[in-house]
Formats: sequence, C-alpha cells, structure tokens
Amino acid sequence: MTDAAPLPSVRRAHDRHRLTRAWGGHVRLVGGATALLVLLLCSLILPLPFDPVDPDATSVLQPPSTTHWFGTDSVGFDVFSRTIDAARRDLSLALGGAIAAALIGVPIGLMAISKGMSSKMVMRLLDAFQAFPLLVLAIAVVTLAGNRLEMVVLAIVIIEAPRFIRLVRGEGLALRESRYVEAAIAMGASSRRVLFVHLLPNLTGVILVQLSIAAANALVVIAALSFLGIGVSPPSASWGAMIQAGARQLTTGYWWPSAFPGLFVFIAVMSLNLVADDLDRIFERSQR
Amino acid sequence: MTSTDANPSETHLRKRRLTRFQRLLLVRLALIPITLIGVVTLSFLLVEIMPGDPALVILGNTASADEAERIRTELGLDLAFGQRYVDYMAAVFQGDLGNSFFTGRPVLDDILRYLPASLELVTISLFCGAVIGISLGAIAGYWRDRAPDGFTRIVVTTIQALPDFLIGLLLIFALFYLLRIVPAPLGRLGLLDTYPPGVTGFLFIDLIIAGDWSTLASALRHSVMPVATLTLASVAYFAKTTRAAIGTAMFSRHTQFARACGLPERQVLRCALLVARTPILTYTAILFAAMVGGSSIIETMFSWQGLGQWGLSAILALDIPAIQGFVIATGLLTMLVYLTLDILVAALDPRVRHD
Repeated sequence: MTDAAPLPSVRRAHDRHRLTRAWGGHVRLVGGATALLVLLLCSLILPLPFDPVDPDATSVLQPPSTTHWFGTDSVGFDVFSRTIDAARRDLSLALGGAIAAALIGVPIGLMAISKGMSSKMVMRLLDAFQAFPLLVLAIAVVTLAGNRLEMVVLAIVIIEAPRFIRLVRGEGLALRESRYVEAAIAMGASSRRVLFVHLLPNLTGVILVQLSIAAANALVVIAALSFLGIGVSPPSASWGAMIQAGARQLTTGYWWPSAFPGLFVFIAVMSLNLVADDLDRIFERSQR
Repeated sequence: MTSTDANPSETHLRKRRLTRFQRLLLVRLALIPITLIGVVTLSFLLVEIMPGDPALVILGNTASADEAERIRTELGLDLAFGQRYVDYMAAVFQGDLGNSFFTGRPVLDDILRYLPASLELVTISLFCGAVIGISLGAIAGYWRDRAPDGFTRIVVTTIQALPDFLIGLLLIFALFYLLRIVPAPLGRLGLLDTYPPGVTGFLFIDLIIAGDWSTLASALRHSVMPVATLTLASVAYFAKTTRAAIGTAMFSRHTQFARACGLPERQVLRCALLVARTPILTYTAILFAAMVGGSSIIETMFSWQGLGQWGLSAILALDIPAIQGFVIATGLLTMLVYLTLDILVAALDPRVRHD
C-alpha cells in the first residue's frame, strides 16, 4: 500500500529537459553490469593456468605469449593468473566495503532527517570529519591499526559512510514534504515507521546509485592502498600491488606487469560508474 | 534607511542588526576554534587505535626495553588517558608538535619546509585543470546532448575510471620511456642543478628571485609529468561540475531573461557562467583541500619532496608525531580553504550576501 505511492512527477524545475536527452536505451547499464558479472564469474570459477602465488623463476619478464597470456613479471609470476586472482579479492573487498558503508550510513542518515538540534550536530561533526583528505586518513588508520585486510573495509567505511549519511538525509528531507508522508503521519504512524516503512523504500533508487559509486571509489581506494603496500600482504595478489611491482620495470620498457592489472582496474571502475550513471538516469535524479 | 524622523532607540536597533554577510562571517570565525579542537582531538585519537603496545608496534618485537620505554615516555603512554589528552592539547596549541621519531627534527619545521612544494604543485595543477575542465564542461553544458557533450562525457568517464597513480604511470611510460621528452621522474631538479637560496621556500619563486633561468627551465621540465597527472585527474571533476552547473544555468530565469532581451549568445553564455560560478568555485576549493594531502602518492611517485610525500613516508614508518602533525596540518589547511571559500562565495553571490 505504501510502495505504490507515486513520486511527485515534477521534482525539480529543470526536469523537463532531461526527457529530451538523447541517450536512449540502457546500453551503459547492461554493458557495465555484464562486464562486472563476467569479471566476477571469471575470478570465481575460471581455472587459472598457473599458480598465482607460486613464481616460476625460469621465466622472468616474458612478454605476453600463448603460454603466458599477459606475460610474466620480474619474479616469474604469471600476470594473467594473478590479475584474475586479484579480481576476486579486490572486487569482494570493494563490494563488501560499499555495502558495509551503506548499512552504517543509511540508518544514521535516516535518523538525521529529524530537524532537531542533534541532527544539526551530526551534520556539523560530519562537515568537520569530511574536511580531511579522507584517503590520507584511511591510509593512516589502516597502517596504525595493524595493516590487516579487514582494516581496508574499515577505511572504505570511513570514506564512504559520510556520503551515504549526507545523501539519505538530503533526499529524505525533500521526500518528507510529500503527501504520502503527510498522510502517514496523519494516520498516526510513528516517526520510526515513517522513516523506515515510508521513506526508506522511496530512497532505494538513490541508495543503489550511491552504492555503485561507492563500490567504484572503494576499488580505487583499495588499489591505492595496495599500491602503497598497505592492507593486502604479499604474495597474495591485488591489482594495486601488481601495478606497483610492475612500475619499477616500466621505465625500461616492460609494460605488461603493470598494464594488465591497470586495465582491469580501469574496466571494473568504469563498469561501476556506467551502472551508476544509468541507474541515476532511471531513477530520475538530476543533481550531483 | 536614513530616515531622520526615526526615534533613537530604533536607529540603535538598526545599527546592531548585522547584515547577513557579517553574521555569516561571525559564525564561520566562531566555528574555527571548535573545528581546531576537533582536528587536534582526532590526531590524538589516532594513537589510541593502535592495537597492543604502540611502542612495540613502532619498534618491532626486537626492540630493547630501554628504547620501548623512551617511546612510551615520548608518547606519554605512562600517563593516564585524560592527563595525556590535556598535555597533548596544551603542547599543540603552544605550537609544539613534537619531534620526529626518526629524524629527531621538530615536526612543525618539517611541515613548513615541505608545505610550499605541495602548494606549488597543487596550485599549478588545479589552475591548468580548471582552465581545461571548465572549458570542456561549459562547451558540453551549452551543447547538451550534442557532439561536444558526448566528447566531454567520454573524456570524463575515462579519466574517472583511472586512479591518479595509474595516470602518472601512463605518463611516465608515454612521455619518458617512449617519447623521451621529459627527464626521469626523480625529483624537482636534475642531479647537476643547484637549489637556489631558500627565500620563500617556493622553488619556482626562489628561482625567479635568484634569476637562475636555466635551472628554472629544468624545474619546469621536471614538473611536466606530476603537474600533467594532477591536471588530468582534476579535469574530469571540473568538467563534470561545470557541465551540470551550466546545464542548470542555461534553463534558469537569468538566462531566459537574457535571451528574451535579445542578447547575443556569447553574452547569454556569460550570464550562465555567472550563475554557475558558485558551484564551480565550491568544487575548486574542495579539490584544493583534498589534493594538498591527497596528492601524496603522486608526490612520492615523482619524488616531489612535498608535504604529501613527507606525510606518507611518516605514515608508512609509523612516525607518530609526524603523522599527527600531518593530520593537523592538512585539517587546518582544509579549514582555511573552506573559510576562504565561504567568504568568497558570500562576497561574490548577492543571493548569499543580502537578506
């Protein structure tokens, strides 16, 4: 009964020109989602041609060939096996981190919708917190807290949860003015019921969009952290660490140890961004 | 306003009522100490998240009891939590950020020494990024859903999917290895160049003061890759923000009115840019603040010797006083940038300035 409540048809003054936008179809959503799924499935079920953590010292820095599809790096690791193996770690960490950030950020954001003093305080605190270069703060937290894999998820939550809080609060404040919320309050719904039963379902769209943006950001953060040697410990593979390991040979012309993991980061982040873009359009949001 | 027949109490009241701009300024200034305390508290709490005995974590398990004791005393870990907090706050607000564990130098000196390089890098990159990005975004916003928009969209989507260190590596491979048109990414000057006497601490300005043009040319050549990396990374944000802002502005009442007046399209676009100025300015400030500490990977990659590189090496070495100093410095800088932004926006935007 509640989820059938229609969104106000004209929410923003300049909604009109959005209808004329020429980007027809959902090529980006379908393409991005397919690329991600293929990547995930490959990392989960594809039999790897070589052991990703067992180097072959006899074939070092071999260019891409039919045996080593992506070549081998300076230690003798097969770049293809490691790139695919890293996909599992990086993607699951990124998705897990983004979901954790949403699980923490969305309820706090909903709570902060009330116009009381405490909600203002939360927002001020958030302002001060977000004023930091969050990537640096995340690096410091992960390093100081013992440099473990779980800490990377914590770092992602630190960076992404404030964005969820802000988004949910902002959108929720706008939605709260709608008729169906008014009606629910008039019928005696408690404020918690209004928030979780009436507002939350109508925020699904924006939360989904933010979730894919957060996952894309998280991938970049994980790549940056492991590029610095933080979080993911060798010899287990991760894209950032592979790029870093290959960077030393880049200036002597051995491009493949860095290029292939780099390409995969690019594809994964790009796919998530495309999905977010298209979802955003589907859910008719014009801001941000 | 200047009515002469108003009774004295009324004029008195009117004088005391501040304009909205003044009130905004006062609120922002009052928030400074609060934010400052927050920043320092956060940097203090960073030590608390270390598991187990911080002294042993820093030194490793092979540390002698003496060394561990020294670190503990230096961090004040032998004191109670509350006492430690008060001591730390008192020291920081007297300008004492402690000494680095590894170099022994005062942290504040190090920050002041490395900050100018970062400011130079970020300012130059953001300027280039703004010029390119705002142009791209304005073109895309004006010709929405046409070819220029599509081009900008491709540029933005591509860059946004590339982490900045990947852009840096691509540039190193293309410009240094393949084309050989820039020097190796090993610092701001070549091995044979001599550093100018440090007058301002800003290398470019010092070189100009010293009149050392050949070294300046070398410094510029060494800057190409790091500046290009950060420029490219920021172009996407500028283009995206400008496109959205101009797109909105093109449908605003201001622009409709400008069109209705029969102004030439060039003037109409100028009006739209005026409307779009505030969000663009806001984004510039946010990017600037985020980049001063956030460019640490790029600084390290090109051995830029800036604050970011210094802070990153401190973090990786678990140099606690330096990490705390870094957090305070970047936090403080961000705060100042946001304060400047608020004042600038209020000064430029009559909708904020007046009631």
